[in-house]
Amino acid sequence: MRRPHKALQQGLTACLCCHKLVTLPASGRCICPRCGARVHGRIDGSLMLTWALTITGALLLLPANILPIMTVIYLGSGEPSTIISGVMQLYNAGLWGIALIVFVASIAVPVMKLVGLALLLVQIQLRLPLIPLQAMRLYRVVSGIGRWSLLDLFMISILVALVDMGAIAQVEAGPGSTAFATVVVVTMMAARSFDPRLIWDIYDENLEVEAESENKGVAGNG
Amino acid sequence: MQDGRNEAATPWQRACHECDLLLAKAVAPTGQKLVCPRCNATLHRKAKHGIRYTAALSLTGLLLFIPAASLPLLQFSLFAFGAENTLLNGVMSLFDAGYYWLSSLVLFCSVLAPLWKFLLLAFVCWGSNWAFLDRPVAASVRWYQHLKEWGMLDVYMLGILVALVKMSDLGKMEIEPGLYCFVAMMLIANLTTLSFDPEAIWERIAHRRALRIAAAAPGGST
Repeated sequence: MRRPHKALQQGLTACLCCHKLVTLPASGRCICPRCGARVHGRIDGSLMLTWALTITGALLLLPANILPIMTVIYLGSGEPSTIISGVMQLYNAGLWGIALIVFVASIAVPVMKLVGLALLLVQIQLRLPLIPLQAMRLYRVVSGIGRWSLLDLFMISILVALVDMGAIAQVEAGPGSTAFATVVVVTMMAARSFDPRLIWDIYDENLEVEAESENKGVAGNG
Repeated sequence: MQDGRNEAATPWQRACHECDLLLAKAVAPTGQKLVCPRCNATLHRKAKHGIRYTAALSLTGLLLFIPAASLPLLQFSLFAFGAENTLLNGVMSLFDAGYYWLSSLVLFCSVLAPLWKFLLLAFVCWGSNWAFLDRPVAASVRWYQHLKEWGMLDVYMLGILVALVKMSDLGKMEIEPGLYCFVAMMLIANLTTLSFDPEAIWERIAHRRALRIAAAAPGGST
């Protein structure tokens, strides 16, 4: 079987910043001659860092969803609302389109990101057989959608300034928003620190193991 | 050129940054994109327009930034009271309410990162004309790559829409001129990001370096 030419096996690697092909010295790390970024064969401690950030994000998701993220006071009355109750209010008001957008951005996306990253990490850590193209698709979705979760926080910052009329109508942010902001930042950093090339490393390794055991089987039969 | 040995050692030009596959091609032809045959990652996209196009766009963005940041975006009125919102006063009210982390995140993602992106791109596109700016230009391209995903004007735009719909049953929402500038700036920002091709900058720098060496070589030998 023809093996694909992998850069690392030939002592080469792509600079992740400017995509220049760099020859790695024996130490395995250098400075990119073109853009000056640090170059590693694989991102340093990628798995550990991604695990840490994913777990942090998952833990922070609890206060982000339990604590209220904002309070709308209208004519002196108003209750703090959490992310979920905010979506429910929009839905009950008949604004189901907006409710869907907010639901996707602030509930579905963070959860999907954390689950997706955890799946990828488990697959790599336990060297499970994986379908690389599927894993890549998951990785690209996870790293692409993260920024949209900030939607809710932007909306809060707009409303806080816009609806500020003392007792008549006022919007206040709640402590949940801080936790949620941290979730978004942490998950974005987690997606950043994950090195997709590890997926292919595991895949190639698995193929090699398979080929070897097949060879042994053939030899045994002969 | 006629050396037969050159064929044996394939001259690798690029490694896919997502799956580490070595490729013999570095850049895509004009108007097309280079896709990794193994993992389908887009490796390089060459726009029809050159560096000047990006420079013009980033300058337009910078100009639009002034009204977008200083003019009010939305106005909310209830009975006799009214309040306006600009890009910055939402951040200010969050900061005053004690949400330092949240307000700095919103400030960073909606004002500082987009502004820096425009400034860096303008600098990169104009500055790459001069040899003495090679180092700062390379550093700017690097910073730009790190900053890229944190500029969230499009997410902010969606936040404005959600706020607009959400509050429209409470009071009267009006669109102010700043919003038009903001939308224009958002579109320009996306266009700028799409049209920027770091490979063209590297090419320009490498080309100039080659010229300099060629010019210096005969002088040095005689």
